Amino acid sequence: MQLRCGDELFDVRLTGAKGDWQAVVNGQPLRLSLRAAGEGRFTVHHAGESLTLHFARDGATLHLFWDGVAYRLVEAREGARRTVRHDTGALEAPMPGRVSAVKVAVGQRVTKGEELLVVEAMKMENALRAPRDGVVRAVHASVGEMVAPGRALVEIGDVEGRE
Amino acid sequence: MTPLFRKVLVANRGEIAVRVFRTCRELGVRTVAVYSEADRGARHVREADESVAIGPAEALRSYLSVEALLRAAHETGAEAIHPGYGFLSQSGDFADAVRDAGLVFVGPPGDVHRLMGDKQAARRAMAAAGVPVLPGYDGDEQDDVRLLAEAERIGWPVLLKPTRGGGGKGMRIVGRAADFASALAASRREARAAFGAETLLVERYVERSRHVEVQVVADAHGAVLHLGERECSIQRRHQKIVEETPSPALSPAERRELCDAGVAAARAAAYLGAGTVEFLMAPDGRFYFLEMNTRLQVEHPVTEAVTGLDLVRLQLEVAAGRPLPLTQEQVVARGHAIECRLYAEDPDNDDLPSPGRVLYLSEPEGPGVRVDSGLLVGSEVTIHYDPLLSKIVAWGQDRAEAAARMRGALRETVVLGVVTNLARLRAIVEHPAFTAGELHTGFIEEHLSELSPSRCPPPLALAALAAALRLGRDGGSRARRKAPDPWTSLGPWRLGGGA
Repeated sequence: MQLRCGDELFDVRLTGAKGDWQAVVNGQPLRLSLRAAGEGRFTVHHAGESLTLHFARDGATLHLFWDGVAYRLVEAREGARRTVRHDTGALEAPMPGRVSAVKVAVGQRVTKGEELLVVEAMKMENALRAPRDGVVRAVHASVGEMVAPGRALVEIGDVEGRE
Repeated sequence: MTPLFRKVLVANRGEIAVRVFRTCRELGVRTVAVYSEADRGARHVREADESVAIGPAEALRSYLSVEALLRAAHETGAEAIHPGYGFLSQSGDFADAVRDAGLVFVGPPGDVHRLMGDKQAARRAMAAAGVPVLPGYDGDEQDDVRLLAEAERIGWPVLLKPTRGGGGKGMRIVGRAADFASALAASRREARAAFGAETLLVERYVERSRHVEVQVVADAHGAVLHLGERECSIQRRHQKIVEETPSPALSPAERRELCDAGVAAARAAAYLGAGTVEFLMAPDGRFYFLEMNTRLQVEHPVTEAVTGLDLVRLQLEVAAGRPLPLTQEQVVARGHAIECRLYAEDPDNDDLPSPGRVLYLSEPEGPGVRVDSGLLVGSEVTIHYDPLLSKIVAWGQDRAEAAARMRGALRETVVLGVVTNLARLRAIVEHPAFTAGELHTGFIEEHLSELSPSRCPPPLALAALAAALRLGRDGGSRARRKAPDPWTSLGPWRLGGGA
């Protein structure tokens, strides 16, 4: 199976049965045994050590808790290739929230680090800043609007004559 | 003994509402929860005797609506309103409105909130009462020339602070005269936008300072007691995440001096109920008044752990007009307590809040461990409110034992479904500088690189996850094995595996 964690893709191959497994993770071989220890909880034995795995599924997202740290993974379809995120010049909402200020308009020149808009969530205001110098090509947000993470809010293009 | 009140409404949500209900139950006081549409079915609603819907998710129209809260109190026949912390807890107007409605506000009167809510007036009142304040300027003349001259007199670096508001908004550290004008303009602009007033205080900025605070409690019969201090130096975005008592930085003589200053501050404010006087402690051990919080603090459980007192009970007794049931000599602190605040926020993404649904929850327990939580499995953590999920408190005979119990408690804590700061909390309490008690308000920034765990799980965890998924699939019945995905077919979400 293939698991995606952020931009990283992990290939996990498993052979064995009855709780004893041989795994190959991105080419690295591992031996482990695993048994269920309650709802969403598993005991893992590896190299003489005993560890606990917790996991829960929410749609295609796997929430994993291991050694005190929570991770979020997405089960990828076999054969999926590592996606390369290329810079479209779009500024995305980093979290769901309400747009509390829009400080730029289409056609305006901006410099890297300049505050473009403010998204408010959970009592905190988060200023979204220009990732680079350029000209505002489009603004897809208005004050008071709720936005979802990953949504493009402002598009920034190159300054005319430099393209 | 007749109960203090027949019925108390808690104008709050989450863990603090649950915590206040607990004391009410113990005292035989009936409880009323209020909730917004986003909190229907929340834990605090389930744990109250009665509950009232007060409005939409938006706090301004629910938890911050004086009208809706008073209506809920009236409908349920509540005699008193406990405001918790945050929301309207420090609103003088709310305190007055509750009193004018013929109800009891569990906290000080409106004038006390207004005095302490104005940093300029509070600083002047404290200085007049002999409570140490930072070298600074709290005058009414606010023109650029005067403020610059005052900054020069105070000495660089200085901190510009709006006299209204809080949460670090509008505050600016200025290191030299050349940067003063632009910092002044920015600070005023932010203060005006956030608080509607641009009056500023100028104070000396002290680097590597500690945050120490004194818990006070005062009754209507003239008694003012302190319940010791707390150190809350570990902060991010000017907000505390790890607190403890006693402070590892204070000698017994310094502790006495600090706590006496806390009592003097409370007396100067004509305080009533439980409150906290916050001080900045410089590296040379001198301390200065910062502000007074006119409400119960988030971190009050560490004080309860070492004193054995119930601060909510004391609040209710004072609100009912009774004298405090103990003297200063009867306040005895034993051992050491540490609190960690579990937040739905992502330390790897600028501490941005991270909403979601709690899919799995395992909270720690054991000797000396207390958890104040507002969570249940299935709880929605929404973007509308503060992202505090729960507080984990560990008590020990000494700091080392408390820290060891905290490390164990954090290892036992599991939350799935929302991103939390749990890994950061573990990294903090396991850090050698924490163990050594070397705390200051820049702790996170200084040690941040060491506090960022890897974003992706190690290969063994991935192999275990794959095996667990396989176990779930192969372990099911024939019928279930035929289904394309037995997990998703059981509902929108479910826990992993199970043999």
